[in-house]
Amino acid sequence: MALSKEIYRELEDIVGEEFICSDPAIMPSYHGSDLGAVVLPENTVQVQAIVKTCNRYKLQFSAVATGWTGSFKKDIVYIDMRRMNRIIEINEKNMYAVIEPYVITAELQAECFKKGLHFNVKGAGSNCSAMLRGHGHLDQSTSGDDRNHLAIEWVTPEGEIVRSGALGSTDEWFCGDGPGPSIRAILTSAVPPGVTPGVFTKAAIKLYHWAGPPKYDIQGLSPKYTLPEVPKNMMARYYSFPSVEKMWQAEIRLGENEICMELMGFNVSMVAANIATCNEDDERIFKRLNKEKKGPGFFVIIAGNSDNDFAFKKKALEQIVREAEGESMKSLEDPETEGILIAQCTRVTASIRETFRAGGAFSSIPIMSQRDLTIKWAIGAGEAKLPLIKAGHIVDDGGAFFGWGVEQGHVGKTEIFCKFDPANEKAKAAVEKWSKEQGRRAFDESYFALMMGEVSDDIKANMCHYDKWWIALTRAFDPNDVAPQGGPLV
Amino acid sequence: MIDKQKLVKIVGTGMVSDREEDLEKYSSDISFVNRVRPAYVVKPGTAGEVQKLIDLANATKTPLVPVSSGAPHFKGDTVPGNGGSIIVDLSGMKKVEFVDRARRVAMVEPGVTFEELIPLCTKEGLRLNMPLLPRKSKSVTGSILEREPVLMPGYQWDMSDPLACAGLYFGNGEEFRTGQAAGPGTLKDQWKVGAVQKAPYGPGTASLHRLIQGAQGTMGIVTWMSIRCEVLPKMQEPFFSASHDLDQLLDLMSWLIRLRMVTECFILNNTNLAAIFATDMEDYQRIKETLPPYILFYNIAGYDYFPEDRIAAYIKDIAVMNQRIGLDTGKSAGLISADGLLKKIQKPCDEPYWKLCLKGASQDIFFLTIYDHMERQIAAMKEMSEEIGYSPTDLGLYIQPIVQGTGYHCEFNLFYDPYSYTESDRVKDLSNMATKSLMNMGAFFSRPYGDEANWIFNRDAATTDALRRIKKIFDPNHVMNPGKVCF
Ligand SMILES: Cc1cc2nc3c(=O)[nH]c(=O)nc-3n(C[C@H](O)[C@H](O)[C@H](O)COP(=O)(O)OP(=O)(O)OC[C@H]3O[C@@H](n4cnc5c(N)ncnc54)[C@H](O)[C@@H]3O)c2cc1C
Repeated sequence: MALSKEIYRELEDIVGEEFICSDPAIMPSYHGSDLGAVVLPENTVQVQAIVKTCNRYKLQFSAVATGWTGSFKKDIVYIDMRRMNRIIEINEKNMYAVIEPYVITAELQAECFKKGLHFNVKGAGSNCSAMLRGHGHLDQSTSGDDRNHLAIEWVTPEGEIVRSGALGSTDEWFCGDGPGPSIRAILTSAVPPGVTPGVFTKAAIKLYHWAGPPKYDIQGLSPKYTLPEVPKNMMARYYSFPSVEKMWQAEIRLGENEICMELMGFNVSMVAANIATCNEDDERIFKRLNKEKKGPGFFVIIAGNSDNDFAFKKKALEQIVREAEGESMKSLEDPETEGILIAQCTRVTASIRETFRAGGAFSSIPIMSQRDLTIKWAIGAGEAKLPLIKAGHIVDDGGAFFGWGVEQGHVGKTEIFCKFDPANEKAKAAVEKWSKEQGRRAFDESYFALMMGEVSDDIKANMCHYDKWWIALTRAFDPNDVAPQGGPLV
Repeated sequence: MIDKQKLVKIVGTGMVSDREEDLEKYSSDISFVNRVRPAYVVKPGTAGEVQKLIDLANATKTPLVPVSSGAPHFKGDTVPGNGGSIIVDLSGMKKVEFVDRARRVAMVEPGVTFEELIPLCTKEGLRLNMPLLPRKSKSVTGSILEREPVLMPGYQWDMSDPLACAGLYFGNGEEFRTGQAAGPGTLKDQWKVGAVQKAPYGPGTASLHRLIQGAQGTMGIVTWMSIRCEVLPKMQEPFFSASHDLDQLLDLMSWLIRLRMVTECFILNNTNLAAIFATDMEDYQRIKETLPPYILFYNIAGYDYFPEDRIAAYIKDIAVMNQRIGLDTGKSAGLISADGLLKKIQKPCDEPYWKLCLKGASQDIFFLTIYDHMERQIAAMKEMSEEIGYSPTDLGLYIQPIVQGTGYHCEFNLFYDPYSYTESDRVKDLSNMATKSLMNMGAFFSRPYGDEANWIFNRDAATTDALRRIKKIFDPNHVMNPGKVCF
């Protein structure tokens, strides 16, 4: 349903006629939802004015950055942030970047690499907003989730501008906490279920040292790119181990000794997806790697800040892997493969191949938590996939799960997904059943609770009634109930 | 006022005091905060008792002031803001639930001090990312709740570190567990399956641990905390780099952190380094004379695999950086050895506490800042000292990089004789004046205490308003430490 003329006009006055639309022919191109209107603000002041207008008319709104996750309610004002795409600052000495919501990872990373810096890149990939919270391949050395945010400029659901931490007191972006208790507690960013009430208009994110080249000299044509050589003082390997326990032991020692830039517990199916240029290739490589592997494994990238640093890291890596009876997959040591894996896994360009290509759709259970605990659960969830593979419902990945270390193994991410054909109703139903059962098992056996989508009352009650606090917090900041509601309310 | 018997019923006889000398201990501290005498001092022994105390406080609208560390207190946050308050002294809650080597985490009650926890961690091959020389009676939980800066900034990924999870009662008496500890089920259910309350995320959308830190007890009472620990190195090699030029040291320090070469890493001026080692004034003068103005301390650690190689590699790389910057590195600065300082800072401070040793008291002015502003702020502080008649050479300085080098904790220590009115007044004036001026020069007072808190919150009305809305949710009757922060 389009907005009334009066409201449309008010919003148009804010952004200009070029930057608002409610044309019924265009609306479905935005997530296939029947939106009230799409507005494209240029700056914080315009965002604030839009939000205030929404409050006046009690109209719900939702801000969207690169739009990878969206599923949006009917009739809302969709605030498309694509014009807010500026890199405001890359502060080398204090290691942070200040960006707007539509700066994508690929852009910011290209600028940071030139200065010997990089940042946490979400596994979804280089086309996603760099500002929103997430987790990905580089978490081992760049942390993840909401832990990379410093100060944030936030337009509250009522249209007030709050500048968290040092920004509010001193105009500096380096710290998002204080004075006193940290409002980062509610500005946890915006990946569902963590929808922040209101709109982030700028944020400072932490930067980390980048020991790699200022630019990859990529050669070839899509879908087959290569690097002419493996960058100096960098090395990528895939190690497989006789058991999950041995793999875990190696993973934890690598973390404690601060060896890896990336420690990504790819299963070989994902490695195959990364290297392969088409589905046929994918299947062939998967079968080959499956034969070559000893058991479960992980992919690592080490990067030395100097020859000395690199020599130490390489020596320690090899010793740790040897002690855990791990072996490097020889076919992946080929410099062409190694080089392109380094480039793809640091620029994070492979997620679509890993997730969508083989089946057309995927359904996933991701969890950020204590890694050994979630691995324990994932073994069972992997076994539960085997009958689905046997029945031909999902792509054969050997019943694998994956995950990675975060903050040198202090915590971790574990994820398991099924790739399937979305047009196959039986497959879809089987995957849904698997997902429900495994999610429930995680809760019943006290591993963790899934908080995406519909969360049942017994889960909320058993998770310290977290939903109650979130509802109270959102009400305190959104008395007119106009902002998107996340978490338990999704 | 609350009936004493009601308190006795909750915590037992002997655990409630209204004796003059006990109340006196909590009526003031070393800061310049106004004296206010509490009505009772209560010592709960269990989380259940804490909850009952909060319920009673809500029913009777009685202010509660949670205190975890033993005396001496320095910042006025545990001195009641209102008359009729009850001090909830948690220092008797001393259980160490576990120290888990494999997952690098320990769980403790709030009364556990650094002095008590460090040996247990060492035994397991772990260590704490601790603040600089906490006093022996300092609660580990208290330090982390205050977001005190830690010595190993490379291991501080987020300002909330090293907090993993916490169990608490909000001001309205409701129980909550943050992060992974929230569930499913009870802690015991979680332990059965191998969970150790390590991950700080969630639960759900909010990360409420961030609200209880920096709150000075105004949001609720924490009854246990799990703490991220680091691995104990196999070998360590500490060094000093000293200079007249602070900028050179800041330059080197920022690279050491950026390249993750060092563990403990900070700068002290000659006043503070001498004060840390001195036994009396004479000793202080003797040591200080031998020290250059600014001293950067850093430690290189080698862990289980090829520790010598790691250390040797970083020594070589740092030598190249030093050459570029024009600095020397050594194992000693004047009379002080780097090994000696390392030994000192890896445990709590010996008695008497170093900040009190010189003159009996210290007023600390501390804020967060960035590289770009620090030299200007330090110069301004020296000018203000001069102006007010406090010798700038007596100013202690401590610069601690925070959160992997994204900022710096900058702290001035003003040592003075608390029995001299002239000295006390001078230091108080300097503290007021400096806080105001430094704020105008980009100093961010992220942990505001005492009277200064008002000016600090006045600068950021939007955040203050947001915090007040939040406070209403968690402590609707305003019983938790009223008068502190912006509440
Ligand atoms: C194939 C695939 C793989 C993925 N892998 C990962 C992964 O490995 N790791 C991971 O973390 N995520 C992953 N995701 C989830 C998600 O896509 C990413 O986290 C993504 O980066 C989200 O960013 P976005 O800009 O596209 O979000 P959007 O879809 O634009 O927004 C996400 C949410 O935030 C809100 N929002 C957007 N901008 C703002 C703003 N300025 N202020 C307030 N709220 C705002 C939106 O309303 C929406 O609810 C994956 C998704 C897909 C489809």
